[in-house]
Amino acid sequence: MTNVIGNEVGLSTFVLASPFTDNDAASFDRVADMGYDLIEVCIEDPSLLSANWIAEQASRTGLAVSICGAFGPGRDISAADAETREGALHYLKTCVDFAATVGSPHVAGPMYAVTGGPPMRDEAQRVEKRSRAALGLGLVADYAAGFGVRLAIEPLNRFETDLVNTVEQGIELCGLIDRKNVGLLIDTFHMNIEEKNIGDAVRAAGDLVFHVQVSENDRGTPGSGHIPWEEFFLSLQDIGYGGPLVVESFLPTVQEIARAVSLWRPVAASMDELAIDGLAFVRSSLEPSQDWVI
Amino acid sequence: MFRYTYNTLVYGREPISIGIERVALAGYDGVELVGEPADADLKEITAALSANGVVASSIVSIFTPERDIVSSTAGTRQKAIDYVKGNIDYAAVLGAEIVTFTPTACMKIVPESNLDQEWDWAIAAATELADYAGTAGVRLALEPWNRYETYLITRTVQALKFIDEVGSPNLAYMADTFHMSLEEADIAASITLAGARLGHVHLADSNRAAPGFGHLDFRPIISAIAASDYKGWISYELLPAAGDVWGVLDGPGAPEFKGPYTEAAINHTKAIVSELGLD
Repeated sequence: MTNVIGNEVGLSTFVLASPFTDNDAASFDRVADMGYDLIEVCIEDPSLLSANWIAEQASRTGLAVSICGAFGPGRDISAADAETREGALHYLKTCVDFAATVGSPHVAGPMYAVTGGPPMRDEAQRVEKRSRAALGLGLVADYAAGFGVRLAIEPLNRFETDLVNTVEQGIELCGLIDRKNVGLLIDTFHMNIEEKNIGDAVRAAGDLVFHVQVSENDRGTPGSGHIPWEEFFLSLQDIGYGGPLVVESFLPTVQEIARAVSLWRPVAASMDELAIDGLAFVRSSLEPSQDWVI
Repeated sequence: MFRYTYNTLVYGREPISIGIERVALAGYDGVELVGEPADADLKEITAALSANGVVASSIVSIFTPERDIVSSTAGTRQKAIDYVKGNIDYAAVLGAEIVTFTPTACMKIVPESNLDQEWDWAIAAATELADYAGTAGVRLALEPWNRYETYLITRTVQALKFIDEVGSPNLAYMADTFHMSLEEADIAASITLAGARLGHVHLADSNRAAPGFGHLDFRPIISAIAASDYKGWISYELLPAAGDVWGVLDGPGAPEFKGPYTEAAINHTKAIVSELGLD
């Protein structure tokens, strides 16, 4: 049972403020006060955040930190032109530096391409783009290995990328990159759309599951919709997943985010309510069932 | 108890008579046709329907940026209304009962004007179109789309509010289980909420493949439809796993959506209907 392994439960800064900056110290207190173990800091604009500040806030509030990347326009490690690739490589190395300083075990996110890029009509183009992604992420992985940091690559649903939609495609990309410190971030919101069977997908990934984000089928409070949660948590148990689980949603009030993830309506009465109820749901799902007590 | 139809949109550019024959052979009662009357050969369609012993069930409207009911350009709004009227005429000629309706261009996810203004334009257009449909003996079915395909009406509760505001017996609610799988907390409960307002149904699995090829449990969904005393069509709008569906259909196509999914979809539902003792 996963809670015995001691999974940390975290909250994404996307639920709190965007872009997240050095002025958001109060967010650390909110997350800690709600009872979370971890805060997932999304590095939207590295110039607005400093790693030392994050480390100080984390230490002050007793929270662990997970570092996650945001791949808006320009941050495309698999772009056809070398200059764009170089820019994305620089950004990802910056994320690794953040992770190393704050003690995050990984950099997580859909780092293989810009999110919501133009669709490619030709499978040959996608194959080429995946090869460029593998090449670039191999360089990032080697850099990260020097700090003991891992890469957790996130498949996204069909409307956000056409490069890596399913866990199976994620496993393939990990194979192409072929580094020990490269695995997957799995997100239940995307899995709901793309996986034929969510539990089977988790078990197929097995030890490659480095990180987990929990979100309801409408990006609302985990437990309030129709994600097959029991099957999901059982499958995490099956693979002996001991890593963090992060509650993720997005502030519909931030225009840039609303556009990026197509979220135009509040998915809970308030983001605080989503965070508090989401935490309670994840904690209770991680509790051993009676069947497990000997 | 249900009447079954299959949406030929996913057959792409294949001649329509081949698609109609495939749908009929798989055991469907009807064929759902793409709303492009200007490109359609009415003689070919009616001949194929009659030769295969099936009827035209419904017309699925295609809302491009040039056919946007809530465009900030008045001319575009008018074109969208004229387009839907064309589909209603097309349905009437073919004897189809339903024309689908969504008041934004597909894949447009950013409002051009404020949402209240757009809602008002959509209500005015739907009111006019429902009247037009009534005269033609056809019903409009309002289909909420998921967040990646529209921003205005994504959920059942919004659609029902819209339908009640228009207040016409010729404007019904339409359930599409793929969109609902992204937007609704409980698909069956939303269908129950629609009740007698349910006028058209698209079944697709969580990944937009044929029911049975994803992870949705269709038993409570079918039960809810039956409990709504639904007399309309059970249709299947299955589409490839891509954001750019048109690109796939224009390019490599989607072969599994022809024979394999056409046959699997109806068989899957019929098995549940039988299991639930609804037949």
